[in-house]
Amino acid sequence: MYRKLICGLFVVTLLLGASLVAIGQDDGAAGFEITQEMIDASPYLQSVLSRVDEVYDTSEFAKDPPYRIAFAAQGTSNAWSALMDAHAYWYVEHLGEDVVSEMLYGDAQAQADIQVPQVEDLLAQEPDALILVPMGAAALSAPVERAMMQGVPVVLCASAVETDNFVTEVGTNLFTVGANLAQWLIDTVGADGNFLMMTGIPGVTTSVIMEEGALAVFESQGIELLDNQPGFWSPAEGKKIMETWLAQHGDEIDGIWTGGAQMAQGIISAYEDAGMDIPPIAGGEQQNGFLRSAIEHGFPFYAWMYPNAMITVCLDAAIQILQGEPTSRFIDFIDTLPEARPFTDAQAEDYYMPSWSDDVHGPITMPDEKLAELGFLVEESG
Amino acid sequence: MSVAKPHESAKQVNGWRARKFVADYGVYIALLLLLLAAAVLTPKLYEVNTIAVVMRQASQLGIVAIGQTLILLVAGLDLSIGGIFVMTSIVVADVTNGRDDLVIPAILIALALGALVGLGNGVLVTKRRVPPFVATLGMLVLVKGATQAYTRGVPGGFVPEVLGIVNQSWFVLSIPLLLWLGLNAVFMFVLGRTAYGRKVYAVGSNTEAARLSGISVDTIRISVYVLGSCLAVASGVVLTGYVGYVDRFIGTGLELDSIAAAIVGGTAFVGGRGGLLGTIAGVLLIQLLSTMALLMGLDIQVQFIIKGLVILGAVTLYSLANVEE
Repeated sequence: MYRKLICGLFVVTLLLGASLVAIGQDDGAAGFEITQEMIDASPYLQSVLSRVDEVYDTSEFAKDPPYRIAFAAQGTSNAWSALMDAHAYWYVEHLGEDVVSEMLYGDAQAQADIQVPQVEDLLAQEPDALILVPMGAAALSAPVERAMMQGVPVVLCASAVETDNFVTEVGTNLFTVGANLAQWLIDTVGADGNFLMMTGIPGVTTSVIMEEGALAVFESQGIELLDNQPGFWSPAEGKKIMETWLAQHGDEIDGIWTGGAQMAQGIISAYEDAGMDIPPIAGGEQQNGFLRSAIEHGFPFYAWMYPNAMITVCLDAAIQILQGEPTSRFIDFIDTLPEARPFTDAQAEDYYMPSWSDDVHGPITMPDEKLAELGFLVEESG
Repeated sequence: MSVAKPHESAKQVNGWRARKFVADYGVYIALLLLLLAAAVLTPKLYEVNTIAVVMRQASQLGIVAIGQTLILLVAGLDLSIGGIFVMTSIVVADVTNGRDDLVIPAILIALALGALVGLGNGVLVTKRRVPPFVATLGMLVLVKGATQAYTRGVPGGFVPEVLGIVNQSWFVLSIPLLLWLGLNAVFMFVLGRTAYGRKVYAVGSNTEAARLSGISVDTIRISVYVLGSCLAVASGVVLTGYVGYVDRFIGTGLELDSIAAAIVGGTAFVGGRGGLLGTIAGVLLIQLLSTMALLMGLDIQVQFIIKGLVILGAVTLYSLANVEE
């Protein structure tokens, strides 16, 4: 018995080690490394790392196509989620009715309290699989478990839940994203720089994990931040905070870490009004409005991607599960969407699309006609 | 106004006077104490740049708080202004699509739509006897739903560059501040010096007495809701220029902050008592608390707790004074 236990521990250690090496190679381009202390302190990191090389035996879900897939979406809340929905509808059409006969859709309006009963309604329609963009890690755990008990395989898309009882999660290692942004800032400015942090919404998983990663890097290098405040992923809130920071710290600010392009736009606007040079910003995205301002002002930035197009990867995962193929328990979208890799100001012109409206979040994998239908092309909005 | 009765002891009278004094001037005393504390804790607050930032940000809340005060004075409440901010932002961007020459028509359309929302609120509250909380909450959901249906969840268009003028400051003066002060002057005059103002107070103090004295209570109430919505549009235009593009979450929280500013400033929740001077102080108090907390690097949770304590403290203070009255 002890031999089995030791062998088991040995295998787990090997897998963990291999995962660390793999993640270090994939995402650690900025010179950042995940340490054991960081893993010990982060349940998220432990969960992701343990699932990276874990494979789910999906034979119990295997059935013949066509499939009815339920998509519990973030819904009509912002351009990012509107584009995710558009990608989903386009991709289902692209796959054809002989693969997906119907996509059942739930619009959570970005609220967990709306999404919880909505998932119940979707499950009542007995779909073959459930793709869920969770609006709350804790609130959506029970519905996910109920779906699995009902025999409906769950694919988590873009965010996580607290339970481990699902088939797979499509996303990226958010801890590493936050950490890499921080490391880029340190590499660009120097460890003796004065840094500010503006996070998303307090308590929202994506924001919390990115912040955790960034703080781990800052702390590991003995950097004390000037301040760290939530900007609620809002340009207005971001601008208000930045105006006060500018009044307080002025040109002492050497670099800013931010958890999203919306807040970066508020930050840029505050600097514009103050007539000051914009310092390096870590935390841009391929959001056209941000890129337009960044090119106009020419400041150094590091952008990461959280593509709404990842829904196509989520749909592929659901189909793979329903075909009974073994499925990885953590699918990094970068492996399927290579254009979703981070980039810097040096590539800003390559990622900026003059024909897109300011609120488009790239990369976009569907044809331009679909963007035009939604009014996301500048020519169309005029 | 209450008068001390002969059998009341001097101690009771003094206690009542003290409470009355605090109730009447509490917000100004609190503002003064906060400014004194700022001199020690956050001296940066007294620099011209910081004052300009504080005043510009306070103006956004201040403009909408004028309307909220008017509505509270007739024992009403308006939660729908959150929807009006978003609607204004969408109308401005959609109608102008970045063209400066279309700003005035866009603002007029937004004002017309805003007035329609206010009219709806007023009619629901007066003619259908729907409680203000329920009526304006329903209107908030309706307006947000309508804007989402119109935009399909994705607001488009561009904000005209000319609206960027709201971000300019000259010393501590800015367009939003001048607008806030100007609107305050107008509405202080209306409330204090005109028959309409006296009717607003009369309706809020005692509806039945106002009705019996020949005041068209419903008309006054409806007009106040329309004015409140139009002021929310004005604030929405300022916010749109401030942000620089259409944001679906623009002005989130300002509806509750505007109620808090008016209440902290001494406007009674039950109507008939209070005024705009107190609301100005309430707005400045809330804005200064936010800015000072940020300057001190306090966690957001602590900022919320401080804000909550100030509001609860003010309400408790006023209710104690009113009980004694």
